[in-house]
Amino acid sequence: MNLGIDAPVQPSHLAILLPALGAVVTLVLVRRSSRLAATIAMGASFLGLFGACALLAQQVEGDVARSPRTIGDLALGGGVTAPLRLLVDDWSVLVCVAVALVAFVVQTFARWYLWTDPRYRQFAATVGLFTAAMQLVVLSGDLVLTLVGWELMGWCSYLLIGHESEREKARRAAYKAFLVTRFADAPLLVGIAALAVGARSTDIPTVLRFWLTEPHASATTLTVAVLGIVCGVLGKSAQIPFQDWLPDAMEGPTPASALIHAATMVAAGTVVLARLLPLVQHADHVRLLLVLLAGGTTVVAALLAFFQQDLKKLLAWSTVSQVGIMLTALGVLPVGSGPDTAITHLIGHAAFKALLFLMFGWATVLVGGTVVPRISGVVRRYPELRRMLAVGFLALAGVPPLVGFVSKDLILDSAAHHAADGDGPALLGLVLLGITTVLTAAYAMRAWLIVHHSTVLERRDDRESFEDSYSVENVGIVELFRDSPQVDEWGREIPVADWVASADHDLEPQPGLLPSTGLLILSFLSVVGGAVVASPLLDLDWQSPDWLLIAAALLLMVAAALLVRVASLGTTYGDASERLPQSWRLLASRGLGVDDAYVGLVVRPVLALARTVASLDARLDRGVEATPGLIRSLGDRTSGVHTRRPTSGLLAVVGGVLVVGVLGVALW
Amino acid sequence: MVAVLLCAIVVPVVTGALLITGDRFSPAVGALTSWVVAVLGSVVTAACVVLAVWRRPELDHEWVPAIGMRLHLAVDGISAPLLLLTAALGVLVVLHARVEPPTRTGHGTYLGCLLLVTGGAIATFLARDAILFFLAFEIVLVPMWLLIKGFGDPKHRASASAKFVLYTVLGSTLMLVGILGTVYLAGTADIDGLVGGAGLSTTQQTVLAAILLIGLGIKVPLWPLHSWLPAAHTAAPTGGSVLLAGVLLKMGTYGIARLVVPVLPAGVERLAPVVGVLAAVGILWGGLVCLVERSLKRLIAWSSVAHMGFVVLGLMSGTRLGLQAALFGNIAHGIVSALLFFVVGGLKQRWGGDDLAVARASLRDTAPRLGFALVVGMAALLGLPGLAGFWGELLAVASVWNPDGSRPVLLFRVLALAAALGTVLAAGYALRVLRVVWAEGSPAEQAAAPGTPEAAQAPRPAPRPVDADGYEWAVVGVLVLGAVALGVLPTVLLDSTEPAVLHLLEVAAR
Repeated sequence: MNLGIDAPVQPSHLAILLPALGAVVTLVLVRRSSRLAATIAMGASFLGLFGACALLAQQVEGDVARSPRTIGDLALGGGVTAPLRLLVDDWSVLVCVAVALVAFVVQTFARWYLWTDPRYRQFAATVGLFTAAMQLVVLSGDLVLTLVGWELMGWCSYLLIGHESEREKARRAAYKAFLVTRFADAPLLVGIAALAVGARSTDIPTVLRFWLTEPHASATTLTVAVLGIVCGVLGKSAQIPFQDWLPDAMEGPTPASALIHAATMVAAGTVVLARLLPLVQHADHVRLLLVLLAGGTTVVAALLAFFQQDLKKLLAWSTVSQVGIMLTALGVLPVGSGPDTAITHLIGHAAFKALLFLMFGWATVLVGGTVVPRISGVVRRYPELRRMLAVGFLALAGVPPLVGFVSKDLILDSAAHHAADGDGPALLGLVLLGITTVLTAAYAMRAWLIVHHSTVLERRDDRESFEDSYSVENVGIVELFRDSPQVDEWGREIPVADWVASADHDLEPQPGLLPSTGLLILSFLSVVGGAVVASPLLDLDWQSPDWLLIAAALLLMVAAALLVRVASLGTTYGDASERLPQSWRLLASRGLGVDDAYVGLVVRPVLALARTVASLDARLDRGVEATPGLIRSLGDRTSGVHTRRPTSGLLAVVGGVLVVGVLGVALW
Repeated sequence: MVAVLLCAIVVPVVTGALLITGDRFSPAVGALTSWVVAVLGSVVTAACVVLAVWRRPELDHEWVPAIGMRLHLAVDGISAPLLLLTAALGVLVVLHARVEPPTRTGHGTYLGCLLLVTGGAIATFLARDAILFFLAFEIVLVPMWLLIKGFGDPKHRASASAKFVLYTVLGSTLMLVGILGTVYLAGTADIDGLVGGAGLSTTQQTVLAAILLIGLGIKVPLWPLHSWLPAAHTAAPTGGSVLLAGVLLKMGTYGIARLVVPVLPAGVERLAPVVGVLAAVGILWGGLVCLVERSLKRLIAWSSVAHMGFVVLGLMSGTRLGLQAALFGNIAHGIVSALLFFVVGGLKQRWGGDDLAVARASLRDTAPRLGFALVVGMAALLGLPGLAGFWGELLAVASVWNPDGSRPVLLFRVLALAAALGTVLAAGYALRVLRVVWAEGSPAEQAAAPGTPEAAQAPRPAPRPVDADGYEWAVVGVLVLGAVALGVLPTVLLDSTEPAVLHLLEVAAR
């Protein structure tokens, strides 16, 4: 079957443009109706998904347009060419579909979750633009296009995190997220400029060819440029030392978090680095640095996740850790290997992290928050959450045969493989990834135990009903009282909590058909998504796994999980971290105080410098303003010398001028 | 077709002069009449400019043979975008004058000055004779001075207008010396004939380039010659600010691109490291001041200093890429700063002040249209892709990475990094403004905060609707569209300037 299209507009264009078009139409045409905005946004998102699927079909059939044009060459005077073409290849198509799918589910979920929000329209439009920007990064075959999508994503994340701008915390978080990532982008900008100017083109294949094959390409320049790009990636992917913006970004509405954490923004770093992987492999020192920072981040973030008292923040840190795994997976690859392991993890992570975030959004609607005391036992009270949350956590922990296991195992396998070949960064990566695998199992277990926790009272109820069930007549009474209103110790009815009555008045406790279906799809993919490794689009060695490695990892994971289970026994909320010192938990929930470090090391000095500069400028300004006065006083002083009487010398000069003038006129 | 060239200059100047004269009658011509005349004048001017840009006629006529000055007017790829920008801004400021009339009587004078500035700027961009260029350049200063002095903020206008006129006339004097020197040594005042150094020695070129760069640097303004700019912007009325940022500053960079870079290539090559460093310092200096500046209008003015630094940096790289970057950055900054000054000028009048430290209701909730325009403007200011500001900055950084000729590569690479850091500062101050003005002070917070809202304390000078509507919304909307269009389709502008850039630098290198 020939799926190729001979037209200027290819499916790759549709996957990028349709979500953006939806955003523009929503902003321009819709005034007040949230319903219309939702229809447009979801429709555009669905069409974008359709475009992505069409692209996938084309790619499988081999009829795809490899490098479609966009807005045409930039006329840069001939020194540097900028063809601004897209680049469609195997893994980018898969990522494109994953992004489109997550974005669509997020749109449907947001329509339910933010139904009463007066700014739903703006939110939906921003999500659309965000999706388009990410798709542009995924399908970009040009450094400039990559940068365009990259920066646009930063902006969209700023808008989404600051969505509830009534709250100072949200405003600060948005500001911080943008500034931290932008700060990291400065070296990226220079790196991109260096790569492009050196290769005299911004076209990625040309750039790669130049820097890898050209003998006179300067190795130092390459190292500096790649360093800049890695710096930008670390910023956007929230890796050490830029990690602190991401947990703060939890101030955004949950669907926004799902989008930022699962499919866009933080994942973009992996995509860009995967695209430029040969360059990273060529610059060996940078590769080691990447493994060190990203690998270190995975461990630290997994540890921090374990201590969080807000489960949404736990998910945030887990994202930091998981993205670190992807970047480490790229770092452990020596020259010649493709990025497919990291991409597999990206896709799997997109599915289960979106699922987890959206499920937590649902839980927030039900219990009003995600801090441990609130969310503890939510699964007991609302059993409808149970299955999908379980799938999410199992996939996160990496339990076979879920997608998390498959991708993580492949990464460990490749790290072990290359470490055995004597590759230094690979060995380092293997150790760090191994630690992270165990820690991930531990914090996933902890989170599950918290949501699954039954309070002492509930447990007694259970036991009594269980024991009572021996006597048949009492069973009916238990059933009878299950739905009756809660009473306090004097038997008065407890009013429903205020937040339920006010904030979520109009919200149905159940997501509608579309978002529920979306969640189901995500959980389905989290379970069987591992099968993607068998697709011809990914070049993976999955048929000969290292059973010993798997067994060791699983054994350690089980041990960690058991340890957590034991530690959680007898705690108030089923929280294993309660056993650990309060000060540790406090420190972890403040992200090790890195925010203070940012303020102390960057913000304060820059502001102090700014004040100095401003005062220097004021002095310069005064100097400028003083010049007329100076000149006037000079004039006054010299006028004192003047006798105010015509002297003979002056008369002679005037006479001379006259003579010269007359002569000039006469001789013309 | 040659007539449109003359009309593009004569129509605004004559209309402007008529309007100013009309004010001297007693009774003076009514405000509405003057406005209608001004709108007509500016629209006809814009039509002439569009025609001229489309058909590209050339007029070359002897004028003052004694000093070798010719009436030589033409349009090429470098001046065409600037001409269109000037004509468009000319129409927009006149339209906007209906929304925000001058604070005292003298509508005719105000509108007349706007038209005179537009006409002078058009003449500057059309001129192909170095001396004619200078004359046109000078014509603009007087009406601009009048705008600031006569219609500005009463608190600052006297000192600001004096500083503006003295400082820029100093620049003009230097420019005149430089131009006359070049013309005398080269033996021609024809700008096209001067391209390539016209046989001047490197030392001569260096001296002349230094004089011209200082003179034009004052107009750009280049750090540390910028002191007049924040003051002038703070004092100027909205229309004046828009023309100042959107047109006058562009004349400075246009002068460098037209009279210095191609005409004195060897001199520029020698001076490029110094000027490049000054430009980079300007980027960082302006960005830093913006982080702590309390007056919103001054902040935008300061950001101009930073953004013009990018343009000058691109010019100093001496590459075709750099020249393209500078020309793009010029236009982009013209659109964006015009947009921001319209918005901020409107806000200042509504608020009765522009101190950022005063708590106010959030724009997001009270005036969504103005808020949207401010968000777009600020996003463009920080160089967001998809908006005009991005391309100029990206290309400028890229051009500096590999400068042309014998320029010190390492130094220029450091400058590239400094410029990249400048974009971070831009993000810092742009989002600071958005945080304070756009997001902070929602109705809930306002209700919680003690004290009366500011609107009750500060009497408004003229009753205006809370949000932009009518002409104001149209003017702002056009500029928003312009910023988006240029950001999404940079090819349109780059394609139009490329042939001229190639021609200019090819001849210069020969």
